[in-house]
Amino acid sequence: MTGRGPVETFLRGQARRQAGALLVAALAGAAAAGAATWLLGLSGWFLASASIAGAAGSLAAAGFNYLLPSAGFRAFAITRTAGRYLERLSGHAAALRALAALRPALFSAIAAAPPERSLSLSAGEASARLVQDVDAAETEFVRRSAPWAAAAAIASAAALVALASPLAAGALIAGVGVQLALAPSLARRWTTAPAARSLAAAGELKSALTAYLAAVDELQAFDLSDRAVAALMERDEALGQAHVDRADAGARLGLATALVAAAAVAVVAALCVRAATPLAALADLAALTAFEGAAGLLIAAEQRGAHHAALARLNAVAVSAPQPGAPLPGTGPIVLDGMRLEPGAVVALTGPSGAGKTRTLEILVGLRPAPPGRCRIGDIPLEAAPVGAARGLFAYAPQDARLLTGTVADNLRLGAPDASEADLWAALEDAQIAARVRRLPVGLDTWLGQAGEALSGGERRRLSLARAFLRRAPWLLLDEPTEGLDAVAEAALIEALGRRLERTGQGALIVSHRPAPLRLCAASLDVSGSA
Amino acid sequence: MAGLVALIFVNAAASGVFAASYTILLVRGAETAALGAGFALAVRAAVSSASSRLAARQARQVKRRLRATLLVAALSRRRGNRAAVGEVVGTIVDEVEALDGYFARYRPAALEARLAPVLVALLVAIASPVSAAILIATLAPFAALMAIAGSAAAGEAGRQFGALARLSGLFVDRVQALPVVLSFQAEAAETRKVEVAAADVGRRTLAVLRIAFVSTAALEFFAALAVALVAVYCGFSLLGLLPFRPPERLDFGRAFFALALAPEFYGPMRRLAGAYHEKQLGEAAAARLGPWLSPARAPTRISLDGPPAIRLEGVRLDVGDAQIGPVTADLPQGGVTVIVGPTGAGKSSLLAALLGLAPLAGGAIHVGGRRLAPDESLAGQASWAGQSPVFLPGGVAENLRLAAPSADAAQALAMAEAVGLGPTLARRGAQMRLDERASGLSGGERRRLAIARALLNPSPLLLLDEPTADLDAASEAALLELILKERGRRTIVIATHAARVAAAADCVVRLA
Repeated sequence: MTGRGPVETFLRGQARRQAGALLVAALAGAAAAGAATWLLGLSGWFLASASIAGAAGSLAAAGFNYLLPSAGFRAFAITRTAGRYLERLSGHAAALRALAALRPALFSAIAAAPPERSLSLSAGEASARLVQDVDAAETEFVRRSAPWAAAAAIASAAALVALASPLAAGALIAGVGVQLALAPSLARRWTTAPAARSLAAAGELKSALTAYLAAVDELQAFDLSDRAVAALMERDEALGQAHVDRADAGARLGLATALVAAAAVAVVAALCVRAATPLAALADLAALTAFEGAAGLLIAAEQRGAHHAALARLNAVAVSAPQPGAPLPGTGPIVLDGMRLEPGAVVALTGPSGAGKTRTLEILVGLRPAPPGRCRIGDIPLEAAPVGAARGLFAYAPQDARLLTGTVADNLRLGAPDASEADLWAALEDAQIAARVRRLPVGLDTWLGQAGEALSGGERRRLSLARAFLRRAPWLLLDEPTEGLDAVAEAALIEALGRRLERTGQGALIVSHRPAPLRLCAASLDVSGSA
Repeated sequence: MAGLVALIFVNAAASGVFAASYTILLVRGAETAALGAGFALAVRAAVSSASSRLAARQARQVKRRLRATLLVAALSRRRGNRAAVGEVVGTIVDEVEALDGYFARYRPAALEARLAPVLVALLVAIASPVSAAILIATLAPFAALMAIAGSAAAGEAGRQFGALARLSGLFVDRVQALPVVLSFQAEAAETRKVEVAAADVGRRTLAVLRIAFVSTAALEFFAALAVALVAVYCGFSLLGLLPFRPPERLDFGRAFFALALAPEFYGPMRRLAGAYHEKQLGEAAAARLGPWLSPARAPTRISLDGPPAIRLEGVRLDVGDAQIGPVTADLPQGGVTVIVGPTGAGKSSLLAALLGLAPLAGGAIHVGGRRLAPDESLAGQASWAGQSPVFLPGGVAENLRLAAPSADAAQALAMAEAVGLGPTLARRGAQMRLDERASGLSGGERRRLAIARALLNPSPLLLLDEPTADLDAASEAALLELILKERGRRTIVIATHAARVAAAADCVVRLA
């Protein structure tokens, strides 16, 4: 159960950073729990003493010191309230700061994982990990003050009960001990499985929902929305059942521990019956608060199952990232399928549809593992270099021109964070999309919406081309760069591309089934035998 | 509801038995009374356990209904009116789950807070009417405090959800676009964006919690003071030191009974205060979900019996910032119509308008001589292969049959073969599975699969968007031949740049 995955290690580091806030939470929790015990005990004692003094006649009543107990009421009430507030606030603040650090670390780990892993993670599943699994991991931080609060409550209560009967104090401690010993093992047996199921079911619901939402046009066109809703509600059913099961398990756990408490309270009360009435009243009420103080630990035990399940799910995506090796030399030649490509060469990749032209580009960029012997960068076989080590060599304009949700400029600056506005416009001109961007409501700062939805397919492709143009890399990888263009625009783009390659000295690997882009290429490489 | 109310009554009765047992124990020194106290506590434990089971089931009912409604709304939203996928996922999963606490904890606590204090006050009144009156009198400021705190928190909780939705939206988008992020080595920059969004969520969550905790603390403090007030009244009454003549004579037993029950009077309200954060989240989520719940006007499906003639009459479309049209054209029944024009001219948008995916900004579409009303749609009567086809995670045949449930797996695979996916299926196996990105397929293969899906679906209207893009000349010719076989059986509309496709048309619609 106490695995030492990367996420645990990370959280331990965060706990060290938040040590101050966690200490405040622990101390405040202890003070609050102690004060609650004293407050109730004191009021019982006060009442009984007042009754005895009142019965003894008005002289005794007049001499009864009520100032001290009332000062105590005030002090304990204030301490309890302020302590609880501080405990909650510092505990949650520490937890939230840790989470805020954990989320980007997870994203970074997902991005750094080998592509066959990271690219197979569905977006919905990834979001489930990042949102709800991280939230479930938060509980551990918030509950760190629970043992301190419980200890303070139990110690105070035991001390007060001992005034009435040391034996009763022993019974109280034994009762709380049984409760605290029972809770974790019962929780493991009852709550762990439904908690894990509930996290997994939420992940599956998110994953399916993301897939269906991406296909919403298809669903509407083919009138499949009802079936999609039915399929998604099946996942909702699994999630709902897991939730109810978890609530039931929690309720059962609460019942079991409360029965232990009931028995212990009855025994304590019976044992205190021979003590003086004020002390017995004090002991009886204090014993109740001991169990109230221990409640935080019981909740922590109940949540531990979900916590472990969440950590396991997070560890599964946060495999420790391989350290990026030294970037491969960008100035030398590339050898692809036995053909030597000198820097600055412009080469066509050919082969029938489905032969693996796109796959070849993806292998170069490190979006797929490199098969042995297909490619060398300088003297280094690509498969021997760390994943993505060659990425710096390439500026890639993929066929399926995915844009980021953001502005035009956000997308263009992806590969050239420091590019000036003039650079951006020059690239847009070359990609034959400048006029269109000028017509957008706020030009470069126009928000493109979900994956660039505001643009047509051809426009997205040319924006993606401009994005690749802006990246200073020795090689351009262009997958069907002119698809969707009419002949005039295609000719203009090819001419601009030719000028650009001449100016920058970049090489290019071009995939196209259209003749115009291939006219730029001095050589061609058939990949159909290799994929 | 009735179940919860019954449990509240049982709980109050058990509290009465508990306080009475404790009092008898102290006043008479009878050990057997301890059994009564223990029994009463056991009953209360059982009640609490039963009510949380009950509440969990009620919350589940609410969430189920709500989620079904939201799913229908999200999947029927037309283009131009859709939120980012990640944000919608956050709304439908996370925000609906946020209502769990509201319905499973806050609402039962609110019900108990209304009912239980009255019952406890009645019990207290048996022993000490004045103590009961004191307790009742302290209710008014308590309620006022709750109301004030509530209005302060609503805005903050809404902003917290906003930040969470942005984080979820950003994350889903960047994971979907991970290939681009990786190829541009932008991991560090995008991680910083996630960092900023995550820190924003943390900050806003803490702002909400701070209000919740202050409210809880104020309510708890108030409860403690009220209990102390009862203790002081009883104590001074027993001492005979009250500055006024109380209308009742207290003895220790009555006083202790009242004091032992006083925490029970405020217990439900302390639980309510503890569930305060759930209330904030629930109400903020409800406010955010509200706009989704306005009954979506699902377009009326019309049905066709045979390929229709279609007339576009001054059709205008708004696409983001651009205007398209007016377009007027007659698409022949069972013929092939080709839409041509430069990129961005609106070819895809016109197909989308025919499908009812996007609303018209003006003009009208006539189908078989009948004018389509604004809420009528050809969806379900049309087969479509879009420009960026999307597939659901699953097998090839499974995806094809989704659009054509009447076809069997063999027919689906035969169609895949016919559009030229034979070599792919031979290489990857007919059982190959597609993931969310369909990442195992090249652009051309994805397009072929989409065409297979459209051809397999027997609808009388066939809409194809750039069916031969990304294909070499031989493949283009073969595919075109396959499409033209449908001529006469269906009315076919093709958006294309390809001269060969345009040459085969019965009618050409040119967009500027």
